[in-house]
Amino acid sequence: MTNVIDYVPGNTLLHRLNPVAKLALAAALIVATFLADTYALLFGLLALTFALGAYAGVVGRLVRLLKVLVPLGVVMLVLQLVFVQGGQVLWGFVTTEGLVSGSKVCLRLLGVALPLLLVLMVTKLTDLANACVEVLHVPYRYAFTFTTALRFVPVFSQEMNAIMEAQTARGVEYDTKNPFRKMQLMLPLCVPLLVSSVGRTDAIALAAEQRGFYLRTRESSYRRYPFAARDWAALVCCVALIALGVVA
Amino acid sequence: MAPSSIIQLNDVSFAYAGEKDALALDHISLGIAPGEFVGVLGPSGAGKSTLAAVLSGAIPHHFHGSFFGAALVDGQDTCDVTLTDVSRVVGSVNQDIDAQMVASVVEDELLFGLENFGVPHNEIEARLAAALDAVGIPELREREIATLSGGQKQKVAIAAMLALRPRVLVLDEPTAALDPASTKMVFDTLRNLNAREGITVVVIEQKVATLSEYCDRILVLNKGRLAFDGTPREVFSHGAKLRELGVDSPRVARVSNSLVQHGVIGPCEPCLTVSETKRLVAGLVGTHPNAVAEKNRATAGAPRPRAAQSSPMVSFRSVGFTYRSTGAAVRDLTFDVFPGEIVGVVGQNGAGKTTLTKLLNGLLRPESGEVRVAGLDTRETPTSRLAAHVSTLFQNPDRQICKDTVLDEVAFGLELTGVDPREARHRAGSVIERFGLPAGEAPFSLSRGQRQMVALASVVVMEPEVILLDEPTSGLDYRECMTVMETVREMAARGCAVVMVCHDMEVVSDFAERVIVMARGEIVGRGSTSEVFSDAEVMRRANVEPPQIVALSSALAADVSPAFAGITQVSEIVDLVEEMVRRD
Repeated sequence: MTNVIDYVPGNTLLHRLNPVAKLALAAALIVATFLADTYALLFGLLALTFALGAYAGVVGRLVRLLKVLVPLGVVMLVLQLVFVQGGQVLWGFVTTEGLVSGSKVCLRLLGVALPLLLVLMVTKLTDLANACVEVLHVPYRYAFTFTTALRFVPVFSQEMNAIMEAQTARGVEYDTKNPFRKMQLMLPLCVPLLVSSVGRTDAIALAAEQRGFYLRTRESSYRRYPFAARDWAALVCCVALIALGVVA
Repeated sequence: MAPSSIIQLNDVSFAYAGEKDALALDHISLGIAPGEFVGVLGPSGAGKSTLAAVLSGAIPHHFHGSFFGAALVDGQDTCDVTLTDVSRVVGSVNQDIDAQMVASVVEDELLFGLENFGVPHNEIEARLAAALDAVGIPELREREIATLSGGQKQKVAIAAMLALRPRVLVLDEPTAALDPASTKMVFDTLRNLNAREGITVVVIEQKVATLSEYCDRILVLNKGRLAFDGTPREVFSHGAKLRELGVDSPRVARVSNSLVQHGVIGPCEPCLTVSETKRLVAGLVGTHPNAVAEKNRATAGAPRPRAAQSSPMVSFRSVGFTYRSTGAAVRDLTFDVFPGEIVGVVGQNGAGKTTLTKLLNGLLRPESGEVRVAGLDTRETPTSRLAAHVSTLFQNPDRQICKDTVLDEVAFGLELTGVDPREARHRAGSVIERFGLPAGEAPFSLSRGQRQMVALASVVVMEPEVILLDEPTSGLDYRECMTVMETVREMAARGCAVVMVCHDMEVVSDFAERVIVMARGEIVGRGSTSEVFSDAEVMRRANVEPPQIVALSSALAADVSPAFAGITQVSEIVDLVEEMVRRD
């Protein structure tokens, strides 16, 4: 299992923070990213995210995620170049204003996605769910839905791989070089994937009910998630980050 | 009807919503006493899983339909209490291992139920540790469930139930996806729990030999009714009737039943273990060890004649491959498969069998050495082009089915290889007719067994030079299994080279002429089926249990008469014994 957003064990301060405090930190980084309007601050916030990742020992994984996020960012950049016209024309449809707004959108995309993914890398899913239930009073059923959905991402990608292999062995040209042809070939696969996922969902619902899902209350969790001094400190940092976004 | 029953079904019938006319369970009455170890057998569609759902309360609470009669669990009518209340008494474990996990770490999986049922927090640690110890996996406590093997996951599922201290465990084909070694591990665990903790076990299973070894009582269902109910000996003494229903008997029981049928011995209870059968046969022929016929048995079990000049259809030459992510590897695989041959590949999970199949159908390319299929080098040929020569039947047909009707599905493979659509549909139509499948129906509306037949039909229609079978019989009942394998045998007779990866050693010994044994990524043994299975050293190295008949003939050859050596079929043993006895 080499899923990039899997939990990476560790014992750094970032690992030991209350999951809710971590979420708050991520949220603050995101809010600040939206408020920020200078390159310096946008890059600064990204650098801060990476620094935290490096501290928690997951910077390698963050970089791997960039491979997925950067192409997305480039698509956003191109769209902005097309739609935002103004200032000097640099080349063809590229204008200075388009370039500025596009590059900022691109940076914001990274600034929003990475802190959240970082939280998932340093927090066990069950801890995140239990802490949200205990501290934030989120109803357990929503927490359970959320963790189950995330848990299913690798399960489904495995299933998808198995289906693609089976279809390739039948002679479907997934080994084609043409990406559009490949997309077209992949569509029919939704049927087997959907069939298996609907069955799975139903089975999980039954399994959860048979183990007392409906009896669960906020006090059920064996582990407790009290707010410690370091968590309050983290919250103070959050406020500072947002303030920075507003001021700068 | 004893009042002491922990589970009591009084005239229970059930029809799933939307299928009013078809009763999945048809007037079932039975009682299960505390501490029993009950096995449930039956062909596909007999209502086994429905029975499990009734016992665990999933019917009537989760699956909807018309429910008649009463199901009492620990004296309470399951209709009157909630599913959660039933679950306090009955823990259930399903076939789909992944679909019953609610957490991503083993410890959390066990905690889930304990927390929900409000077990006091100071007791939780002890219960958790005890449950993990009971199934023998304390070292897995911190592991991610996704990184465990199938057998380990199934043990986690059982432990998660045990932590709740149920009085009954209901398991629906818990070992369907497991190899023989893991199956034994799971059943040993169940036996321990049954004996030590007095937990009542009800297990649905297709593996008859395993059931007869572990259960005190066997129920046989057919078309929603209870066909047989008794001790394994009582049930398997009805071998012929079971066969009519589509239920297999342990091979050794077939030996003793056949001896009775042939009048060699008087009516008696069937044997259930190899050593019992050996004693029976030794008692019969033991007094005439010298009367051994010098009859030429060489004709029996001789390999299918293959044209001596024919060149191999599949050839592996010192093939090596390493997975970059896990480091698992296969090394130095060298073998040939000729047209018309059926070759079995056996070994434990993780021995490299699946890697071998993927190297064969081009899903993986060899890192060293060479794989040639139908004369094509797999490194130079795209997988989709190899597909015209190699057809693969996968373990799970649902991964390969993607069309709306059976006809489209079967014709799809042909169309992909460039056959004219009209011609493809014509050919698909005739294969579908031969298999007796409903051409116009949606494949996903068919039963598991029929979906496997659809997948097989789409293999057969390709008329490939090589057929690759990956666990072709898992999830099928005895009759479906035989239909699939007879079709494969026909294809081989027409000149197909067949490579079959299979955990069911009885199927391998019945259908394969040659066997390749794998362990830890290498080939550790090869040869004719009877030779390989009677080679105790190879079997031990690969941790494979030989089929019952081979174990029996080896034991007889060692202690009674060398004439038994190398026999792989029930009928040959029976004939030989009969001859030895009559000669006198």
